[in-house]
Amino acid sequence: MSDLDDFKATYFDECSELLTELEEQFVAIEAGERDADRLNAVFRAIHSVKGGAGAFGFSALVGFAHAYETLLDYVRDGRIELTDEVVTLCIRANDIVTDHVAAARSGEALPADYGMDEKNRFDALARGDAAEDDTAGEPDEEFDIEFVPVMVNIGGNDDDFPEIDDTFEALPMAGESGHWEVHFTPHRALYARANDPLLLFRELAVLGEMTTKAVLEEIPPLSDFEPFAVYCSWEITLVSETLTEAMIREVFEFVEGDCDIAIAQLGVGTPPTAEVKAALVHPATPSAPAMAPINLLELADDEVAHLLEFDIEPAAPAKAKADVAPAAVAVVEAKADDAPGLSFADIADSIKPAPVAKVALAPKVVITPAATPETAPGEEGERRSLGVQSIRVDLDKVDRVVNMVGELVITQSMLTQQMDETLRTRYTELVRGLEVLAQTTRGLQDSVMAIRAQPVKSVFSRMPRLVRELGLKTAKKIKLETVGENTEIDKTVIEQLSDPLTHMIRNSADHGIESPEKRLAAGKPETGTIRLSAEQAGGNILIIVEDDGAGINRDRVLQVARDKGIVAPDITPTEEQIDQLIFAPGFSTAEAVSDLSGRGVGMDVVLSNIKKIGGSVHVRSWTGRGTRMTLRLPLTLAVLDVMLVKVGDSPYVVPLSSIVETIQCSRANFERVPSGGQVLQVRGEYVQVIDLAQRFAMTTTTEPENRFVVLCEAEGSAKVALIVDDIIGQQQVVIKSLEENFERVEGIAGGTILGDGNVALIVDVQSLKTSIIHKNAA
Amino acid sequence: MEALGLRDDLNDKSAAAAQNSLQLIAFSIGEQTYGVEITTVREIRAWNGATPLPNTREFVRGVINLRGTIVPIFDLRARFGDGQTTPTKNHVVVVMSVGDKWVGILVDAVSDILTVSRDDIHNVPEGNSIDTELLNGIVTHDSRMVGLIDLHAVVSGARMDN
Repeated sequence: MSDLDDFKATYFDECSELLTELEEQFVAIEAGERDADRLNAVFRAIHSVKGGAGAFGFSALVGFAHAYETLLDYVRDGRIELTDEVVTLCIRANDIVTDHVAAARSGEALPADYGMDEKNRFDALARGDAAEDDTAGEPDEEFDIEFVPVMVNIGGNDDDFPEIDDTFEALPMAGESGHWEVHFTPHRALYARANDPLLLFRELAVLGEMTTKAVLEEIPPLSDFEPFAVYCSWEITLVSETLTEAMIREVFEFVEGDCDIAIAQLGVGTPPTAEVKAALVHPATPSAPAMAPINLLELADDEVAHLLEFDIEPAAPAKAKADVAPAAVAVVEAKADDAPGLSFADIADSIKPAPVAKVALAPKVVITPAATPETAPGEEGERRSLGVQSIRVDLDKVDRVVNMVGELVITQSMLTQQMDETLRTRYTELVRGLEVLAQTTRGLQDSVMAIRAQPVKSVFSRMPRLVRELGLKTAKKIKLETVGENTEIDKTVIEQLSDPLTHMIRNSADHGIESPEKRLAAGKPETGTIRLSAEQAGGNILIIVEDDGAGINRDRVLQVARDKGIVAPDITPTEEQIDQLIFAPGFSTAEAVSDLSGRGVGMDVVLSNIKKIGGSVHVRSWTGRGTRMTLRLPLTLAVLDVMLVKVGDSPYVVPLSSIVETIQCSRANFERVPSGGQVLQVRGEYVQVIDLAQRFAMTTTTEPENRFVVLCEAEGSAKVALIVDDIIGQQQVVIKSLEENFERVEGIAGGTILGDGNVALIVDVQSLKTSIIHKNAA
Repeated sequence: MEALGLRDDLNDKSAAAAQNSLQLIAFSIGEQTYGVEITTVREIRAWNGATPLPNTREFVRGVINLRGTIVPIFDLRARFGDGQTTPTKNHVVVVMSVGDKWVGILVDAVSDILTVSRDDIHNVPEGNSIDTELLNGIVTHDSRMVGLIDLHAVVSGARMDN
């Protein structure tokens, strides 16, 4: 893989994160949280997608994202009102961006006019509201600014401007009406992330006539000078009729959090006089680390040489007069039609010669790294400034660690088991060491599991739009509430969760929630609520989908189940059993097959998916009041909760999630059936019996009445009774594959290594049950 | 490269001739000596019991835990059709890699490391299908006959329905 491919892969990873964030933001926006933060987050996300796309040459994506971004920009500064219509358009636009990204990723080409309608609507909206303001609306066009070195003039001669950067010639003429004062105090982090204030100033210069003044009051005497600290801040005055605060903020978007920005509008028509500026100079807060000099270290030789050309008179600053001290600033001025030329006005006498040179460097430094006009460093800073730092790690690597820690846990418990009383009394230090080891291993295991854990948010966040679409299609009013979306589960579990949740919510929307008329007639609020919640309960995660709809129509469910032969005519199931019937394969009560649900696949998919990851599903319904479906999921897949049993002389484990109850054989109620086999009667239900010793061809010496029945639930809530010779207890095990070195064995789901180092086999309840049926059929 | 090609070409005399010597781990089942190429052997350990696997043929003795990995154990005597070994602590499991899998073979004892010349490898005489199926060739060492085990053949056909 080439470097570029690596970068691309990273870009696409980031894209999917950004698109997820977009989705989240719009959920909130739709819910009415239309504040600036949300819009800014949306804008940033689209901007980042666009930036990367530009770098890789995905022109279709760039084109669309740009139009979208322009619209967002107008929305942000209030030129376009964020109506529901605009929100809907934006959500549609998110889809299109997602499609573009997917197309770019797979290398496919989308139709040339893909998303054209939306793009035209953006343009129409944008043009209608801010026709004359194209340049200002698209400050990003300045990305491809050419780097032109700007001289720093120490002499303080305003007329002595250096060369003009022709990029700035086409600037909009600024009027005298809007005067903005920006106080920009970069933090240490801004430079650490390779941001360059000059780039910001250049962008600002595009917005209007700009005057820049560096505030150098904070510069300490050399003895106190900290090489990596930041001592310099800037006063910027901008004059433009059309300028808004949002436009200025946008320039600082990528350094937000890494600097202090104070933006104030001055009286209309006030010229940016020195007096005004001086009045507005408030001392930079001491806590705000200002740091230009770090970049000194990165200066190329020729740049240093350039600096040396400066007419710095080391002695001069030392002689500086006290009466100029109040200003103590270097005024850096830039005219709208000029390059941001810098002029060094004066230096306070407190400043010693050497630091002066450094101070002089500060504005210069600002100029140097300009060669990278991309937004990338900004994005990085953006992410990191959120407070949580993260790295991307290959999941395989994490899994390897998880596996090894699993081994460690087993080895550790094996060691502990080896300790008998004599050893304990003889080697107390060893015992203590083992205890510490046990503690550390447990801690290590928890931490490793935590690495794989992720908030369920990533799944939950896809649901609001599903509900929105379902609401539209079914003409019902539905609102989704989510609770506990920061609950964390193993990544693999999360991946398996999306389909079941989709089906369950579909089911609630289609069958649960009634039409608005029916709801009103029943005295309920017109809008139905689906509540999606996640919580941790012991070693499990409970995911609950609740609706306040009509509840399960039990008569109908039973009728359909009888018609389809799922329930025999002579059996009268309990209410709870009827509720569970909705998970039976092929079951559907919907009269017409809609594209939402009704094909009868769906709820049984929920059950089988959840079973596959070691979870269980439970439904409870209240007629006229609603339905609650509870998913019980294991915290992690790497460790399985099992019941350790004995069959013959061999240890077997049965996943705890599939066990309903255990009964002593002497108390169980067996009945004979014509085939010679046995069935178990348990609470009015007849359950197929499998004697594991017989099934696995083991010889057992246990008396029949001392054996145990383990009642298990197989797929589709059918039960099966396993007879084992002994029940040893519950424990947690790490699942090992048999196929790795052998092959699949019928009736066995895998192996695991017990604390004593022996291998125990995991009973595959589902395959045992089906294999019996096959035998009967044959 | 040649060492890799070797396993497939043991029967092919010209290929065998290309490389002259071959090191074998020799082990015994009853009176008979067998050998496998030393490079396939990963580990030799004493028999310490195995967890039996249901629904498998009698020559699959079960699985053991080899440092966290589950490894199946094949009873070579049973594989040759002489009935299951009654293992004691003195029996030995030779852990080998076959393809990308690790398997253990239960034998009575490991006797020696032999260096034989490839030119001395004879074809298995036609006759009993078990012999030709499970052996790659026969080599004579110190006037003893050593059967070269075909590991792929030994570990295949473990399931009941095969």
